[in-house]
Amino acid sequence: MSNIDRREFLRLVGVGGVGVGAGFMLAESIKHPVEHLIPYPVPPEEFSPGVATLYNSVCRMCPAGCGITVRTREGRAKKIEGNPLHPVNQGRLCALGQAGLQVLYNPDRLTAPMIQSAERGSEQFIQTTWDDGLSRVAQRLAQASDNGKNIVMLSEGVRGHLAELFEIFMARLGSGQLLHYDFAYPHSLRAANRKLFGIDQLPYYDIRHSSYLLSFGADYLNNWLSPVHYSLGFGDSRHGNDEFRGHFVQIEQKMSISGAAADEWVPARPGTEGILALGIAHQLLALDVYDGEDASDWRTALDAWSADTVAQKTGLPSSTIKHLASGFAGTERALAIGGGAAGNHSNSVDTLVAVNLLNYLIGNIGKPGGVVFNPDPAIGGATKNRQANFRSMQDLIESAGNGQIDVLVINNTNPAYTLPQSAGFKEALASIPTVVSLSSFVDETTAMADIILPSHTYLESWGDDTPEPGLGFSVASISQPVVSPLYNTRATGDILLGLASKLGFDEAIPWKSLEDYLKDRWRQIYERSPRDPGDFASFWRDVLRSGVWGENRRMQGPIVIDKQVIDDMGVAEPEFAGAADDYPFILQPYLSTAMYDGRGANLPWMQELPDPATGIVYGSWVEMNPVTAAKMGLVDGDLVRVTSEQGSIDAPLVIFPAIMPDVIAAPIGQGHDALGRYARNRGSNPIQLLAPKTDVSSGSLATCVTRVSVVATGRRRAPVKTGGETRQLGRNIVQSTGVGSGSAGHSAKLDSIPITVESI
Amino acid sequence: MSFMDRFVSSWRDYRKAGYYEEFDYAWTMTIDLDVCTGCSACVTACQAENNIPIVGEKELGKGREMQWIRIERYWEGEYPNAKLKYIPMLCQHCDAAPCETVCPVTATYHNQDGLNTQIYNRCIGTRSCAVYCPYEVRYFNYYDHHWDTPLDQQLNPDVTVREKGVMEKCTFCIQRIRQAKDHAKDDGRRRVRDGEVQPACVQTCPTNALVFGDRKDPDSKVSKSMKNPRAYHVLEETNTLPSVVYLKKVNTDAG
Repeated sequence: MSNIDRREFLRLVGVGGVGVGAGFMLAESIKHPVEHLIPYPVPPEEFSPGVATLYNSVCRMCPAGCGITVRTREGRAKKIEGNPLHPVNQGRLCALGQAGLQVLYNPDRLTAPMIQSAERGSEQFIQTTWDDGLSRVAQRLAQASDNGKNIVMLSEGVRGHLAELFEIFMARLGSGQLLHYDFAYPHSLRAANRKLFGIDQLPYYDIRHSSYLLSFGADYLNNWLSPVHYSLGFGDSRHGNDEFRGHFVQIEQKMSISGAAADEWVPARPGTEGILALGIAHQLLALDVYDGEDASDWRTALDAWSADTVAQKTGLPSSTIKHLASGFAGTERALAIGGGAAGNHSNSVDTLVAVNLLNYLIGNIGKPGGVVFNPDPAIGGATKNRQANFRSMQDLIESAGNGQIDVLVINNTNPAYTLPQSAGFKEALASIPTVVSLSSFVDETTAMADIILPSHTYLESWGDDTPEPGLGFSVASISQPVVSPLYNTRATGDILLGLASKLGFDEAIPWKSLEDYLKDRWRQIYERSPRDPGDFASFWRDVLRSGVWGENRRMQGPIVIDKQVIDDMGVAEPEFAGAADDYPFILQPYLSTAMYDGRGANLPWMQELPDPATGIVYGSWVEMNPVTAAKMGLVDGDLVRVTSEQGSIDAPLVIFPAIMPDVIAAPIGQGHDALGRYARNRGSNPIQLLAPKTDVSSGSLATCVTRVSVVATGRRRAPVKTGGETRQLGRNIVQSTGVGSGSAGHSAKLDSIPITVESI
Repeated sequence: MSFMDRFVSSWRDYRKAGYYEEFDYAWTMTIDLDVCTGCSACVTACQAENNIPIVGEKELGKGREMQWIRIERYWEGEYPNAKLKYIPMLCQHCDAAPCETVCPVTATYHNQDGLNTQIYNRCIGTRSCAVYCPYEVRYFNYYDHHWDTPLDQQLNPDVTVREKGVMEKCTFCIQRIRQAKDHAKDDGRRRVRDGEVQPACVQTCPTNALVFGDRKDPDSKVSKSMKNPRAYHVLEETNTLPSVVYLKKVNTDAG
């Protein structure tokens, strides 16, 4: 028996106690957090664990307005798919649309209102509260409005009732200007429709039912107006029906996705697409395709555009012009569309008028497989077309430079990236006392803001939309939040409502939340069509469930073309910026598949999506004809300097087999100096090279008129590329067959190939 | 019976075309090259559905891409008659798959639906299967991949996140097939209806170039599509009997 007295005993217990205590603390601190075998012992009401919940909403990754179905699990968005009920995309969705998830879950999102604490562009933001942020903005707005100073609201192209809310807000504010700015908005197409048909809208082109499509530069399968819808149309026209196999002709200088899919690829000289269209029109009249009352007027007007004249101007043989005309005239349900490079020249409105004329001459207006004009938008009818073209942006920049703009509010548009450097947008911002951004990311424009009131992504917001161009009938879609907001952000509409309440606009703008406002507006829609059974609540539920709503309204009435328009018919020679001797190439920047106008650059999926034509990921490049490159001694992967009168960029050279010898092409999308970790400091932005030259009549930026020089830097930087050899080398991987494949095609003997095992 | 005889006889059974014919399904895809535009919507759909990692520029530069379906591009001719032809390439789910015979641990095998299946936790990463695959559609995880928070929240809980040292490839979205079968069973049906299950790529294809279904059902869309005289197998001469059938591009050139 050891001899422990009371004191000794207490000391041991004391030490032991401390030891036990320390051990307990240590064990607590290294213990893993509690994990439940079942993630939700008490499941939340909104979802059942393990069962996907689908929400229908609207895609906002480009202006096409496709319907989406978002699959959510346990309150998180897992996948974006096309909404099968939506007439625009019918269950399909493009790559960029599906990458919308990475907008929602992007690690570089803004998480709370911010105030720039150092000089503009330093990106030294400090966090603040919504109350403070809204009060600051409201105070500046009130000050400017009281002093009669100008307030400019520069938004991305918004539609539907949010656009209407913008209108109401700006009207109540008094001294203000509301502009929408989208880099790729087809101003020239709209102007052309106004000029020829007298209808100021983007019509519906029924590619699905057309059996012969003549596309003047429009990359309808990739980025023109509504690419998913037109892709569906392309598929149906080619092999979705038993009657015909659609024949597709693409006229462009650099082979696009649509060019690769076409049956005939015709490279006309840059900017002469309209001249070619007039040449075809001349041939159509010669073939007596048109029998309207004004046929003789048209003959006179188009007399000058004979095949030989046009051949000389376009650089195409006159036999090609006649061949295209006879193909177009000789096929039932032919259709002509124009856009892309053809819509981005100094003469693009006249070009697109000439393209539309082809449709008029063969009489496909308002018919299946033709051009169908749209009724007024189903919702947000009070809104006007606010799209700002390059000329209005120049005006904005000029008045900012003159100190006439007090407050600029920017909503989710990035002109600091999508306007050419020569426009001087960034410099003009310096003269505006207050710049507010409502963006979800610190893009180039938001980096220059004083106050950021970050908006929700589209997957967290309420909203509605009406696709432009429509489908020939009235369609509207609802977007609803599919997940609860990740951060301390607010929907754009709620930010406006918050500002309105701070400004005391309660009478004009009484709604407490965007959801209330939308419901109020949709109640009016419900009440104007009383045929719908049930009450508003069930109507609302049905609209939310299907995500889409429509009315059977169509545009009626014959199209009559003014005599004056007929007499004025003509397309001028294109004008280019820069001397041909110093700048031998014409630069054609194009919207890339993955990044559209640059908005996809912060999405890792899109950075890793190989460019369809070149296989390049994570970078930018310029494309050049192989013969030209050989003459200049350049090879694939050489780093070249592309210089225009406005500046220069360095980019790796890609030898591209289908581009005209004097044209170089470069994808838009990279070259960001903001927009987060995936986008920043990667590649170069060809928009920066563009001359501030517009289409003569519409004032939209002519992106394909800048002349550039290309010089080797002596360095090599082969872009990161997926895929290997780009020639088949006899492997016969992609096989072809002649037309009338029933006889010419060799059918694989599927399932009937004997396997020899005897040799083992 | 000697060991060799037994070996050869079971090999014969195994390599017999359609050896699984007593089973319910033979999943098949047809891809119409005359309609495929190369838009790459299928590529992103697959990445989203199957938790395919973001590899990064450096690894892509080493040819370590992970996209289970990819768009291959082939140029023909020279300017101005150059043509660009696209072909989506994914696991062909060959009935006589070269990859299956070489796996030392049988991590890849043929299941009763005619799918070529990869068992991730059996795979030891010898990469032999990738060497033997004539279509080069097997992808190896050289690293444990990482999703910047909160990008990991988009991961599909129905699909495993693969780890370093494991081979992976297209599964024809087997998780969707299983789910459709479960639904059919719940409804008291023996078979999945045609069109009830679609892999992510087929579901999103904007031109309807991709068709998926059961070729044992003579009325299914895919069975009809396979009867198209334009049908062929890529690298038919290798006798792999793929379950992916391509329809030839139609050439409209004069002459």
